[in-house]
Amino acid sequence: MKPRILLAIFAIPLALIIAAVPENTTHAFKLTASQLLEEANSGVQYYSPDEIADMIINKDPSLQLIDVRNADEFEKFNLPGAMNIPLADILSKDWQGYLDQDGRINIFYSNGTLKSDKAWMITRQLGYENNYVLLGGLNYWVETIMNPSAPKNTSPNEEFAKYDFRKGAGKALGGSAGAVGESTTSTKLPMPMIKSKPKKKRVQGGC
Amino acid sequence: MGPLIAYEIITENTNLFFAFLIGIGFGFVLERAGFSSSRKLVGVFYGYDTVVLKVFFTAGITAMLGLLFFSLFGWIDLDLIYINPTYLYSTIVGGMIMGTGFIIGGYCPGTSICAASIGKIDAMFFVLGIFIGVNIFNETYPLWENFYKAKFLGAPKLSEFLGISDGIMALLFVGMAMFAFWLGERFEKIKKPVIY
Repeated sequence: MKPRILLAIFAIPLALIIAAVPENTTHAFKLTASQLLEEANSGVQYYSPDEIADMIINKDPSLQLIDVRNADEFEKFNLPGAMNIPLADILSKDWQGYLDQDGRINIFYSNGTLKSDKAWMITRQLGYENNYVLLGGLNYWVETIMNPSAPKNTSPNEEFAKYDFRKGAGKALGGSAGAVGESTTSTKLPMPMIKSKPKKKRVQGGC
Repeated sequence: MGPLIAYEIITENTNLFFAFLIGIGFGFVLERAGFSSSRKLVGVFYGYDTVVLKVFFTAGITAMLGLLFFSLFGWIDLDLIYINPTYLYSTIVGGMIMGTGFIIGGYCPGTSICAASIGKIDAMFFVLGIFIGVNIFNETYPLWENFYKAKFLGAPKLSEFLGISDGIMALLFVGMAMFAFWLGERFEKIKKPVIY
């Protein structure tokens, strides 16, 4: 058999297949439904209020709090340094630079965790990294950081240490442990981080 | 997962190492296939030997089908493949200069190195010619710059230009290759065989 015919036997059916199938446009990082469920259930997306309070007090530059409640709620109360991305606008192009980045740790928060979990699932499904959720939301935040309850006398020492930390943090962040104050932090929008995309490399060659 | 360098799975230096190995393989195969003979190479222009056409067209459709299938399986992201940008006028003029040089000299740049390395003197002169040409271009670059960069088209693909899917374009291209091979063999039959 001539090489030409042999080549045709292989190449033409392959070309027919490739002409018939739709182009693959799937995003390489997309999770399957079951992977997402597993991640959501394992709770890897959560940061505890203590961790967040610590980061706020230490002015951790990598922290970016994102309030996913609507603008009215955000105006009434927000955490220091938070920016407002209402859940309804999360797919807007304006916010993509903030959500799809690899420099900061984004923490979504809402009153509970319902909205913030939704925000996390959407961004996770889009393949964005570095987005997390404040465990328990603002309700739990107020309960633990702003109005910490003293542990029982018989509690282990760690509980007392935690209580002391929370009392201090609550004071620093304007909780009831100190003077109750309206959040007046001016929330300047930080610049979006630019994500370093894989670059095309130039190749050299030829016949 | 691919391209490997773009996703930083391998470093640029590792890439160079792979390129080195592939380059050696490429040179070896070129030589064994008889591409170090200028008579065989220019045969494609006179119609008595179309092996050059067959080899490079086959390489083209193999790579094309391979990339499309890899993309289909999600092994490579075609958007990250580097495509040489097209400057239309310099592509046309450059192609003509290259073709003329190919017919006169009997080699293309790659095969000339291949032939020079097995000791063909004409190929050594050809390589020398390449260096002289490159230097002339280099030294007079400011004169050509405007023309060189004229009619910039970005990195267009034929499929985009024609408004068809990559797959259909691939099928057309394979069909074209098969027709060209058939035509080539017809010519070879008409022309007298040449002994190299």
